Amino acid sequence: MTLSFADLGTGALRAALPLAIWGIGAAAYAAAKRDGRALASARWSALITFLLVVLAALAMVGALVTHDFSIAYVARNNALETPLFFTVVSLWAALEGSILLWTAILAGATAYVAWRGTPALPRLATTALAVLFAMLAFFLLLVTTPAADPFVRSEIVPLDGNGPNPLLQNHPLMALHPPLLYLGYVLFSVPFAYAIASLILGEGGDRWLVATRRFALVSWALLGVGIVAGSWWSYAVLGWGGYWAWDPVENAAIMPWLVATAYLHSVMVEEKRRLLRSWNLSLVIAAFALTILGTFLTRSGVVNSVHAFTQSAIGPLLLGYLVAIVVLSVGLLLWRLPTLRDTGAVGSPLSREAIFLFQNVVFVAATLTVLLGTLYPLIAEALSGAQLSIGRPYFDRVEVPLALALLFLMGIGPQLPWHGASRATLERQFSAPIVAAAGGALLAVATGLGAAFAVLTYALAAFVAATVVQEFARGIRARRALHGESAGTAFANLLRRSGRRYGGYVVHLGIVLVAVAVATSQSKTIEVERTVRAGDHFEAAGYSVAFGGLRSVSEPQRDLLVADLRVTGNGADEQLRPALLFFPNATQAVGSPGIAAGLHDDVYTILVAYDTNARSWATIRVLVIPLVSWLWLGGGVVGLGAVIAALPQPKRREVMRRLVEAPATVGD
Amino acid sequence: MPQWLRVSIVIGIAALVVVLMLSFRRDPHDIRTGTVNKPAAAFTADRLDGTGTLSLSDYAGKVVVLNFFASWCPPCKEENPALVRVWERYRTSDVVFIGIVYQDATDKARAYVTANGVTWPTIRDDDGRVAFAYGVFGPPETYFIGPDGIIAGRHIGPIDEATLVASIDKLRAQASR
Amino acid sequence: MTRERALILVALLAILGALAWTAWPHETTAAERVDRITSELRCVTCQGLSVKDSPAASARQMRDLVVQRVAEGRTDEEIRGEFRASYGDWVLLSPPASSWTGLIWLVPLVALAAGLAVVIGRMRAPVPSTAAPSPRELAALRERVAREEALDLPQPDGAE
Repeated sequence: MTLSFADLGTGALRAALPLAIWGIGAAAYAAAKRDGRALASARWSALITFLLVVLAALAMVGALVTHDFSIAYVARNNALETPLFFTVVSLWAALEGSILLWTAILAGATAYVAWRGTPALPRLATTALAVLFAMLAFFLLLVTTPAADPFVRSEIVPLDGNGPNPLLQNHPLMALHPPLLYLGYVLFSVPFAYAIASLILGEGGDRWLVATRRFALVSWALLGVGIVAGSWWSYAVLGWGGYWAWDPVENAAIMPWLVATAYLHSVMVEEKRRLLRSWNLSLVIAAFALTILGTFLTRSGVVNSVHAFTQSAIGPLLLGYLVAIVVLSVGLLLWRLPTLRDTGAVGSPLSREAIFLFQNVVFVAATLTVLLGTLYPLIAEALSGAQLSIGRPYFDRVEVPLALALLFLMGIGPQLPWHGASRATLERQFSAPIVAAAGGALLAVATGLGAAFAVLTYALAAFVAATVVQEFARGIRARRALHGESAGTAFANLLRRSGRRYGGYVVHLGIVLVAVAVATSQSKTIEVERTVRAGDHFEAAGYSVAFGGLRSVSEPQRDLLVADLRVTGNGADEQLRPALLFFPNATQAVGSPGIAAGLHDDVYTILVAYDTNARSWATIRVLVIPLVSWLWLGGGVVGLGAVIAALPQPKRREVMRRLVEAPATVGD
Repeated sequence: MPQWLRVSIVIGIAALVVVLMLSFRRDPHDIRTGTVNKPAAAFTADRLDGTGTLSLSDYAGKVVVLNFFASWCPPCKEENPALVRVWERYRTSDVVFIGIVYQDATDKARAYVTANGVTWPTIRDDDGRVAFAYGVFGPPETYFIGPDGIIAGRHIGPIDEATLVASIDKLRAQASR
Repeated sequence: MTRERALILVALLAILGALAWTAWPHETTAAERVDRITSELRCVTCQGLSVKDSPAASARQMRDLVVQRVAEGRTDEEIRGEFRASYGDWVLLSPPASSWTGLIWLVPLVALAAGLAVVIGRMRAPVPSTAAPSPRELAALRERVAREEALDLPQPDGAE
């Protein structure tokens, strides 16, 4: 008896669903009755479910690699000529496969909580486990019903498949961007589950927050890096020279990230001053709900966008799930609100907690603006039938001032002590950074940045960078005085032992790099478009672009029309090959840019049009984009900072574990 | 958190959900805004077969069916047989079909026209101005202009024989009144 | 005036000067006008890109039309209006502030104002803290402090 991949996958998923449902009951019972056997049963359910889902995912990969076109998903997203790399990557190229990946990650998180989370905090973690099982059961339901079943058979088995969407076979970043994004989304389920568990149990304390702090940080970092990877992909593949278009799906990803950033900061206020309990719970619920909303917007076909997944029955199901989550969590929160009273208040507006609060307000305002801007066309059409667009001009104009406000708060927040500071302290702390800010502003003017927002960005970036350097200097000085360490050792120890704080500073530096990259590339990009014949050359912002001619290239899965360009100038000498890609099943060609990346400038070339009769001329568009590489660098620095902040410090781990395990006492 | 804020947040979320539910009914690819019920934009353009120019005003008082097409457009090929049949039916009356080439190379368009039996007048729209004037999003799109010069209707996507005949008959009935 | 205060003042003046420099009025060239208008028009065959950004053929033709209209001396409003007549409000990437769709511009302001109101309101009315801890709670606190001291760790994020 031969077992096909489809049988394997379907069988695994169909077996996992009842296990997950069983897990809900077992975990809930174990939490309520403190029953060890029920807990063991729940744990094993979690592990086996995870293994089954992974098996299903592997079955899908196997089906893709062996070009098993009897499965509809493979027939739609794979072809015989598709290279192996993109074949494997097409596991998440389309709806059903990506929901399968989501389910696999969620199953992994559930298993992790079942085995590593429950020993530390038996009752809380087990209740959270029940919540996770419920969510897992929903997603397993999706993949075992026609809504998102990846193993649905083809009606007729074609000899060759369609192949992946042309846009998705262009760039290795396809391997990174969706998995990072999903890891970020799905791992946020864990803090959410703990928060709900805390509300269900009526604990009213901070243990849920402390226990999931690292999970929240890691998922925030993965989501952030995933968004940057998506930007980079968009830049390298879509061929318009930009990296962010406020496309609905881009917005769907950034909204939970914005709220998660606010959450990471206000968590510190709760840990330090025992304030903002109900606010933090709201933030976690909002961030998680936004991940589901984001998935809904991307997959339901309700908005038109680059990702353009076709409409399917999954839309109403996801909406129902979202509504259920929101109603249940908000209901629980309102019910437990009396037990979440703060002890104490914020006090001085010149204190770190006040700055964090202002920062939260700005982040929430930014998120609301993105949300309403994305949904406004839907709202307007539902109410009045009018069809309108809200795009870059709106979002840029509204979000940039908010971002500048955040940069400012990012500079002063870490410098202010908890509880408040005197004016004299402020003057001492900020005199050097403000001078640095002036330097930044003057640098902006000197390098020809004519827009006010760019000047302000440079000023604030210098301000934040100066405060970070100041903080590191103080820390190193203190360690040298206390422990007699050398500067280098002191620096390393700051990162190792106070990783949360100094890793956070590294993250801020990464954000500074991103801000400078965005301001510079948006203000000083130079665009030149010319129609040229073979042998011609033209100038673009100090670079010379020579056109060598058009030539055709045949590859197994696509035909290319390549423009040979040689770009020289400013120390660069590169061959670029912007092309038009012709896929057998697509009606129009897809543009592929030729990019000469550099630390200072990117030279971005696009083959816009060509002589279809004799191929004697081509229209080439050249964009000289300064400092765009700093965007990707900045993203990397943010990731690095998050790693530093998330690494467990040796002795602290022991203390935290014991503190967290202690029964609820004062203030909890 | 003050009461007013709490209540407004709850109402906001509820409103959001209602909007999302309503939005299921619409198709994001159907953009209805456009030039329907407005006077048809006048144009003069080169004929595809190179035999001079054609103006919309040449057909004043007739029922005009404007069909935007391209050789690279599969749905255009799909709808073509219906266009051919209806054209054969009405060509001797007061109805005229005009095919307008959208974003295409001349030789490819000519080849398409020959291969698909397009016998009605076709023109080139090399700078896209005609398409912009009518609000075209992409081929195939068909516009129905009444004898009074007003755009009576528009069809996005491949058109079928029944819709063609119904729209043309309606306009001819208007004319004879 | 202390040295720090003087430095801060000079620095702030420099920043203001730099900002004033960017606000210096200058003649908008035709190319800048075209860029501005095309960045606010939606490419009709793309997925939300502006006419300025999009390399698609239809976008380039729209841009040529805008260039011609600018050269003919039409105003921004007239040029936008020409496309609006064909495609409706959908073709504008930024809803005009005059119609009721312009409400969207108020959203960030309202959100900020509401948030700030809540935060500042909470700062002015401090919640009185609960009663002094009971002896049992005090003993638990002391024990916790002793444990942390025994491990000789720096206090989390503050006392440094």
